[in-house]
Formats: sequence, C-alpha cells, structure tokens
Amino acid sequence: MREEHGNVGPVMISKGEDPGDVRTDVPYQLITILSNLYPWMTDGKKIAVVTRKCDEKALAEFFKRGYFARDRVIQIGLACNREQIRQCRCSDPVPSVVDIGEPHGGLDTDALSEKLMAMSSEERLRFWEYQFRKCNKCFACTTNCPVCFCDECVLEERTFVPERGVPPGMSFHMIRAYHLSDKCIECGECERSCPAGIPLLTLRKLVARDFKEMYGFSPGDEKTVSPLLTTLEGESLDGDECDEC
Amino acid sequence: MTEFKPTILAFCCNWCSYAGADLAGVSRLQMPPNVHVVRVMCSASVKPEYVMKAISQGIDGVLVLGCHVGDCHYMTGNHRTAKRMPVVQKILKDIGLNEKRVRLDWVSAAEGEKFQKVIVDFVDEVAKLGPNPLKEVRF
Amino acid sequence: MPRIGVFICHCGHNIASTVSVEEVVRFASTLPGVIVADHNLYSCSEEGLDSIRKSIEQNKLDRVVVAACTPRTHEPLFRSVCEQAGVNKYLFEFVNIREHCSWIHAKEPANATEKAKRLVAMGVSKAALLEPQTEGESSVTPTALVIGGGLAGLRATASLVAQGIDTHLVEKESRLGGLLNDISALAPYSEDASTLLKELVDEVKASNKAHIHLNTKLQGVTGFVGNFNVVLNEAGKEKEVRAGAIIVATGARDFIPTGEYGYGSVPGVITQLEFERVLKTGEKPGRVVFIQCVGSRQPGREYCSRICCNTSLKNALKVVEAGGTATIVHRDIMSSGTVWEELYRNASEKGVQFIRYMLSDPPRIHKKATGIAAEVYDEALGERIEVDADRVVLATPLVSRVDSAEVGKLLKVPRDKHGFFLEAHVKLRPVEFATDGVFICGSARWPSSAKETMSQALGAAAKAAIPIKRGKVVIEAITAWVDADKCAACGNCVVSCPYEAIEIVEQDGKRVAKVNETQCKGCGACVAACPNDAMQQRGFTTRQLGAMIDSLVKHALEESP
Repeated sequence: MREEHGNVGPVMISKGEDPGDVRTDVPYQLITILSNLYPWMTDGKKIAVVTRKCDEKALAEFFKRGYFARDRVIQIGLACNREQIRQCRCSDPVPSVVDIGEPHGGLDTDALSEKLMAMSSEERLRFWEYQFRKCNKCFACTTNCPVCFCDECVLEERTFVPERGVPPGMSFHMIRAYHLSDKCIECGECERSCPAGIPLLTLRKLVARDFKEMYGFSPGDEKTVSPLLTTLEGESLDGDECDEC
Repeated sequence: MTEFKPTILAFCCNWCSYAGADLAGVSRLQMPPNVHVVRVMCSASVKPEYVMKAISQGIDGVLVLGCHVGDCHYMTGNHRTAKRMPVVQKILKDIGLNEKRVRLDWVSAAEGEKFQKVIVDFVDEVAKLGPNPLKEVRF
Repeated sequence: MPRIGVFICHCGHNIASTVSVEEVVRFASTLPGVIVADHNLYSCSEEGLDSIRKSIEQNKLDRVVVAACTPRTHEPLFRSVCEQAGVNKYLFEFVNIREHCSWIHAKEPANATEKAKRLVAMGVSKAALLEPQTEGESSVTPTALVIGGGLAGLRATASLVAQGIDTHLVEKESRLGGLLNDISALAPYSEDASTLLKELVDEVKASNKAHIHLNTKLQGVTGFVGNFNVVLNEAGKEKEVRAGAIIVATGARDFIPTGEYGYGSVPGVITQLEFERVLKTGEKPGRVVFIQCVGSRQPGREYCSRICCNTSLKNALKVVEAGGTATIVHRDIMSSGTVWEELYRNASEKGVQFIRYMLSDPPRIHKKATGIAAEVYDEALGERIEVDADRVVLATPLVSRVDSAEVGKLLKVPRDKHGFFLEAHVKLRPVEFATDGVFICGSARWPSSAKETMSQALGAAAKAAIPIKRGKVVIEAITAWVDADKCAACGNCVVSCPYEAIEIVEQDGKRVAKVNETQCKGCGACVAACPNDAMQQRGFTTRQLGAMIDSLVKHALEESP
C-alpha cells in the first residue's frame, strides 16, 4: 500500500524498483486484485503478494481450483495488528510465515454473533430484516470478496433475485450466505466495503460456525475438499433403510 | 379465525419420490391439498437457490424428496442433497427463520404410504409454525 | 410470445368427480400466453388425442400443456401427438392433477380445484419457457440377462435365444425349473409338468446363445438401459457380465402354514405343493379334503393368490379319477373364464364335493384313530358336518421370495407391500418396470398360472429384445449444458458429476466447463453444484423451475385472500 494524495491504495513494485515509502497497515484484499491481474500475467513471471492469514486462505482456495499456478505466487507473510484483529473479530490472524509485523493472538468471540444467537428467532429475523432493508444492491460485497470467483454473479440473475430494484429481498443474502458457506475465509471485506454498514461478516461467522459443527470443515486449506462436493462415503448410512426393502 | 393453511412447494425426483407420490395417488391415500410437487430428475439437481428463493418470497415450507441414500438412480446424487440441504436449514436459522420450514426426506417408488406420512407430518408442522414471516417482509 | 394450448382431462370421473374441470379450463384460459384452453373426457383416448392434434393445428400452438395423470406413464403418448402436429415433443409440459390432486384430495373438491389451478398455472409458466430439443443416441450391448431359472425365466430365455440374442440365465439353485420341479400336472388339462419342463430346458440348453449360471446370485448392478454392468456371484466366485436388458423372473414360493389346521402336528395334513409331490409318485390319494385360502384373503395377507382354486380343482379331479374321494372346503371358488369354469363343472359332475366356509368359522381338523376328521360348518345346510379324510391338503397362497427384496434394491425397482414387484403401469406398460431396460414376468409380479407365466415371459422377452435388436437407445434430451459466459471454471460440476461427463476446457481463450453429452445421464447434479447459473439442464432450466416457483407464489400467496 502506498499513500498518494491522501489516499491509500495498492501499489505494484517491479523487480529492482525502490519500494519507497510503503504501508502495510491498511486492510485490503490484495488477492481480489491479484485475481483481476492474474489473467494478464501472460509473461510467465512470478508475483509476490503481501498476505495476511486470510489472504493466505484465499490463495489456498484459488490454488485448489487451479486458478493460479502455485509456483508463480510468492507470499510475503504479514501479521495483522491488534486494531485489524479487533475489526475482523479474527480468531486466526497469524500467517504460516511472518515476514512483516508482530504476531498477535486472535479473538475467541464475536460479540454480535453471540448477541444474535442469544436472541429469539423473531428478534433475530427483525435484526436482519432491518439490516437487509438497507442493502442497495451495489454488489460491493461480491466485487470485493476474494473468493467470489464468478465474473457474472448469480445474484444478478432474475430467477433468484427479483428485478424489483432495491432492497433486493432476502434471497440475495441467503443465497450469498450459501455460496460462501464452504469458501468464506472471514476476511471481513464484505462488511468493510458495504456502504450501508450491514454486519455481513457476522452472518459469515454464524454460517461458518454451523458449517464447521456439521462437517468439521473450514475453508482456506488447500488440502481439504468442500464437503458439499463429496459423497457420504465413509459416513454412516445406518438408519436409512427403506421400510419396504 | 380461519385455520392457517400453509403453501408448500415440494421437489420430487423422477425415479423414487415422484413415483412414490404417484403410488400414493393410485392407492387413494388422502392428504392435505397444500403441497405442490415440482418434478426434477434427481434431488441433487435441486439448487439450494430455489429453496431460498421460495422461502424469501413467502412460501411457508419447502420439501425436498429424493431416493433413499444408496438407492439413487444416479448413484450418489442424493448424497449431495443430503449435504446441501442442512446448510440451507442452518442459514434459515441464522437469519431468524425456523429451519423446520425446509425438510429433506427420502421416499422410494414403493413407499406411497411414506409419502403420505411425510406430507401429512410436514403440513402439520409448518401449520404449527404459522405463516412464513417473510410473506410480510416483501422488500 | 408463446402460443400455449392447455388441455384438461376429466379422466372419466377420476379427475372430474373431485376437480371442477370446467373451472380449471376457465382459469387456464386467463393465464399469460394461453391461446386455447379445452377439456377432454379422456385426453389419452383416440378422440381426445385427435382433438388435441386438431387444436394444435387450428390454433397454431407452439406449446402444449396437458393436465391429467402422471408423466411417468402418459408423457410419451402426448409428446408423440405434439410431434404429429408438428410441435417439437420437448415443447410439451405435463401437469399431474390426478395422482397428485384429485385422487388424494377426494373429500375436498373445492380445495382440490384450487390446487389444480395452481398446478396448471405452474405448468403453463414452465411451458412458456420450454425450448425445442433434439435427442441423442447410445449403443446397446446385444446381450440379455434373465434372473431366475423357473418357468418364467426359462420361457423368456428360450424366446430370447430363439431370436438370436445371447442370454445369461441366472439361477440361484443347482438346477433349473424352480417350483415346476415339484408340480405333477398343469391345470386345466393336466399336461405333465415334467414334460414341459424337460422340453424347455432342452430347448434352452440346445442353444449356444444361452449361458446358464447355476448356484448364482445377483451381486451388483450398475449402468442403464443398453449398458448394464452386472456382477454375479457364481458359487462364491465373482463374475462380471454386461447386458443391454434385464428380465426379472425370480418367481414366488408357497406359503408354509404356521400350525394352522394341524399342519405339522396332525399326520396327513400337507400343503398343496407337498400333495403335488405325492401325486407325482403315483401313490393312491385316498379320501382328500382340500382347504382353500389358508393364509390368504385375511388380515395381513389380503390378496387372492388366484391359482389355488384351479389347482385344487385339478388335483381333486385326479383324486376322483384315481378312485378316491375329494371335498373342497372353500370360501368362494375363483375359477372364472371359459376353460376354468369347465374345469369346475367337470369336477362337480365327477363327484367332487364343495362345502363353503366362512372366515369367522374356519374348519377344524381332528386326528382320529384312523385318518383325519374335518369339521366344517356348512352354510347351505346350516349345520356342522364332519368329513373323514386320509389327507387334508392346505391350499396356501404364493408369497414373495425373501431375496426379492435384494433383487429389487440392486435393480432399483419397486415392490408392493406384499413383496411382489410393481410394473411401470398395469395397462400401459405391462411386464415393464419404470426403470428403462428392466422387465418383469411370472409370479415375482403376482401369483400366476403356468400359462400366464409363459405369456408374460414371452411378452417380457419381446420387449427386452426391442433395444437389443434396434442396437441403440435414444437418449432423452434432458442433458446438461454450460452457459460459457457465466462459467467461472470453478470445477464444482466436474467433481459433482457421477458419470465423469464434465471437464474444464479452454474455449475462446477462457477456461470453461464442457459437458460430454453421450456420457451425461441428465441427473442435473451439476446444476445444483454450480455456484452460478452457468450449468443448465434441458427441460429443467433454472428459469423454467424459477418460473414455476414464481407462479406458485403469485397464485397461492398474492391472489388468494
């Protein structure tokens, strides 16, 4: 990141170039930028990218799907500072290799998640209804999401999200929650980029917790396959015998 | 006050549950007229998006019926359904809807009586939950 | 804008006695895109089909919706009418308002009518988005597999090999013939059963097309019509065979009484099949009392086994002809039809006695110093009488074999609550299962006489030969395709396909999923796996199913009070 004219933005530094005055403290999904950049990197050269733990997980999701060649991406591990960790209610902030920054431990709980799950379902629905009513369907959440891989989003398809303008209706957020259930790396980019201030990261965290409870799976590990893409093999099929046969 | 009659959408796979529904019909097994069956080839083709679309538009309950695990016409199709639908249910719960509004069950082509039982139970359960609150949340 | 025609079937009283067909027609005519809405007394009758055909032509329809029974039986019929009238058969949509409506809501005509309207609206909304399709083909393994080496299986095999088709005949016992091995003679003309069996076995064995597997059980089946892969267990050894079609001829067994009428405790009380063995030996039968419906037509086993009355009549005649006496104690004699009624009259004239009993007061069997006494309340006389006998023959029903459950499971074919196999449709698709390429004949389907068994076996063999002789099966155009613009090549579909029919390829400089249509079986698993809307199944596109949901929302939630 580099500050120019009072704005902080990502910066590309070529080999041999003086990096100058760069900053590493701004939360920014560099993997989203990398995924836009990658198709243009036709010269076969390598790219190094500053990766926090969530970026590292996002990269794993990319490698898993064969989107990036692993040997062309070099990770520069960045440990998040306390403020960043607090903002993301991040439980897992330390990258596998720390090149920059001081490692700090993660947070165990997300206060809003706890508060929501302590509510009655009616209250919880009222909460989300209030939040989703603010949505103006700007697609910032999907555009800035590092693991939304599609160019054209299913949420733009009128079959699933009515073309009635804004707000887009519940299906928009439910479908997005489902799509991210096996790949969200909890970077919090959706929440940060939401101009309406919807606590989208909290919804991600709620679904992630359920998903982990059900399938013992968390996204961001290159070696594991999403349970949504495996069969029940290896799992007990007992108790599902047809009465007739 | 009139008794609440839920509107229910059911996805039935062509090979087992749709045939089971047909058998229930041939056997004249009586059930409440709230369930509307959409035929698909396999329960694995039921996009969770359909379920969420229906629920968010105010449908009171969605049933997904497939072949018994191990009996899928397409070998492992229903394994995927068995994995996906619980996620849908959890998302419903997380946003404050009752996860019982979505049910996944298995009905074979020979189980007309089971089909009837599933329909009667589910209609009863959804009726008890009351109208889908999203019916009023049409934004 | 599509031009949709909607045809609502009365199905005689089947639909019309519950659903107000006229009201549904009126409603259908108001739906968007509907040019004409009409009704037929029986849409599937020649008259009904003709009127649909004419309506398509007169109104220049390009989409057809029929609301009637189930697509699982009648869809091909209506599709062919569309084709005859020049409309692609995939522009037809079936709405089920009989099995899924009138029959199951018989006591709620008003609600059933409303539901029928909504179902029709859903069907019309899908129909408007249907697209014409062309069908693919796949090759057929020119071999048949017959499961069961009894009369049904032998007859079917004999027919198949006579047609020049290589046939694997699988029998779990060490010899062919099944129940026929135990039977003395066949009703009504008392032909020698062993002669028939020998002729059939010789015919099959003489053919080099017949491959007989004794002591063999079915272990696994994969594949589909034209290309089944079957794993056999031949005396403990696994063996794989391939088949284009499969015939189930696993038969039935006789019900063994559990102590009724002194069976097992009073000497001389035997089952009909045991009596057949006695008759085979040529032993003098003596005084014989037959008791009918032992273990059938009663709570728990309600069905009539159909063949036991005629068997008793045939055997009673044999007893009388051998100088003995015969009494048939029955609930009703079921011997309908010309030859069977003649058999009954013949038995009657030759001195066979008939006594009717009631389920509430069944005969009682006592052991006597010499022989057995059967005490029966004779309805006609209004008094209890005693008949002396040397043998009491219990006419027990045929019941399903225990291993039919396993066969059903392996082949994914249904059985009824008594364990007999269920045909696709008793009238429209006899001897066929709903699963393409799998057929059924003989007593595995329902207790059948030898003659019926052989007719069914010939029917099943003829039907099984169709795909084999054609050499190809048409693949229904319900395969998947990719909208390349939307595909992000995430590979979810590749992993989800049970048939490995999808791969990621480079196309116009972009990585996209590609479906191999000959491998695709049209399950749609990839559609649901796709995080986008890129993967689509023909005839079940997300737009089509989405329109059905929208239609239900509109008609059930928005337009109702």
